[in-house]
Amino acid sequence: MTLVIGALTIGLILSVLALGVYISFRIFDFPDITAEGSITLGAAVAAILLVAGMNPFVATTAAFCAGMAAGSLTGVLHTKFKINGLLSGILVMTALYSVNLHVMGKSNVPLLSATTFGNYAEDAARALGMTGSMRLLGWEVSVRDVSILVAVFGAIVMTSVLLDRFFRTHLGTAMRATGDNPQMIRALGVDVGVMMILGLGVSNGLIAVAGALLAQYQGFADVQMGIGMLVWGLASVIIGEALVGVRSLGLSIVGTIMGSVLFRLLVAMALRWGLDPNDLKLITAIFVFGALVLPALLAKLRWRKPQVAHA
Amino acid sequence: MLELRDISKTFNPGTINEVRSLRQVSFSIEDGSFVTVIGTNGSGKSTLLNAVAGTFFVDSGSIRLGGRDVTRWPEHRRAALIGRVFQNPFSGTAPSMSIAENLALAARRGRSRGFGPALGAGWMRELHDRVRVLHMGLENRLENAIGTLSGGERQALTLLMATWLRPEILLLDEHTAALDPKSGDKVIRVSEDIIARDKLTALMVTHSMSQAATLGDRLIMMHRGRIIYDVRGAEKQRLRPADLLARFEEVRRGEQLDETAADMLKRAYV
Repeated sequence: MTLVIGALTIGLILSVLALGVYISFRIFDFPDITAEGSITLGAAVAAILLVAGMNPFVATTAAFCAGMAAGSLTGVLHTKFKINGLLSGILVMTALYSVNLHVMGKSNVPLLSATTFGNYAEDAARALGMTGSMRLLGWEVSVRDVSILVAVFGAIVMTSVLLDRFFRTHLGTAMRATGDNPQMIRALGVDVGVMMILGLGVSNGLIAVAGALLAQYQGFADVQMGIGMLVWGLASVIIGEALVGVRSLGLSIVGTIMGSVLFRLLVAMALRWGLDPNDLKLITAIFVFGALVLPALLAKLRWRKPQVAHA
Repeated sequence: MLELRDISKTFNPGTINEVRSLRQVSFSIEDGSFVTVIGTNGSGKSTLLNAVAGTFFVDSGSIRLGGRDVTRWPEHRRAALIGRVFQNPFSGTAPSMSIAENLALAARRGRSRGFGPALGAGWMRELHDRVRVLHMGLENRLENAIGTLSGGERQALTLLMATWLRPEILLLDEHTAALDPKSGDKVIRVSEDIIARDKLTALMVTHSMSQAATLGDRLIMMHRGRIIYDVRGAEKQRLRPADLLARFEEVRRGEQLDETAADMLKRAYV
């Protein structure tokens, strides 16, 4: 059960990353690899501030701002300097590797003695009179783990409600239209470049928050922690679409979160059953590859069938 | 009022694909005038519209709209003064967003877009009333994604969006060319109604002789980047499609003559 709670918590934390990827990949149709740098940036900024004794909320907000700056920079490279989208992301991601090392001062910052959001959650549980361990569905689990899960869940609910609201404002609908039909929204007086810069900013801000939360949860920030994260986010988005479809914005947001949690649970199970952790990223990549090509392949097969029947 | 002075545009200058699309075109449209534009393929009629819209900057000359010099304004800035309907029904709307959201985007053309809700209270009622004018039953499907609509319905909505806020000029770029005849007629009727009701200034490129002859109060014909024919008033009202065809024939013959003349010159001097 502890394993399941852990997988749920990480799945929920990474769903913030998945939401960020959803914005860049689905709303703007922009494969933004800045994600791999900005998640580490978020973790690094939060870790350094926490070690300095800063409040976890302040540290996480600072991480959001740092991520937003990184994402906006990618947007500027792409829209103002006309650099290919993927390359803009690669440039910023590469630059961020050095930035992250500078922020942290070393390649790994432990947070064992720092106050994180987990401590707040535990304090809240203690205030409700719960300490040590509790029984959940007949299993003995630590109150700390459960309170962290509840806190993360609350944060995700808040984030997704805010995000849904945002994408229904005048500014948010203009952003969605930018990805949907740039020609149209330009004819309605919107500077498509500015929308892209803002959108990538919000996307990477969220991704940095995921990094900040992850660092606090696992108790350290590491300069390598971003590797493979974009593909992870893509996998979550794709699973989410398979689960709930693409009918509406709200559903897509819920689906992306569900996708992230489900994917983490599947990974935890696979690891439990003896999957070599070294193969994890390979399998994630193959999974995303399959999800990207299978629909077209299936459609082709379905289209061919009647011809075979005629022959 | 739209005033073009000596505007020229050459695409791919200095290459074998060089196209001189506009050659020192000058003309102006008075407020409330509805001008139709016809011309052969590649005559520059769509380029003329795009030059006004700001899809590209002209190489030389100036463009004034509503008393302001917009020559160096980027497209999105000019959009505050311009309503546009494109030839392709897919171009004018955001397919994955609802009818209501698309219209809400259009209702802020050229204005600031902040954190207010796009579909605020009261908005849906206004929307309902204005969409009903199209007589397409779309007012009952405001929550549907635009992607589920037919081309004709999309063009009618795009037209409504382009004119939601009164534009200084309405640019229609062969906006019925991609539709079946029935929806095309319907969209033309809606266009006429809106232009007449709001007394809009409009510039409409068309490939249809009958549309060009019957619609509007002025007609210009373009050929090889120039305006070669400009009629208005009573003369325009008398114009029949056959007259336009005759004009085109004249242009064609004129060209053949040019080619023979060129051949003669070649034989004589090369």
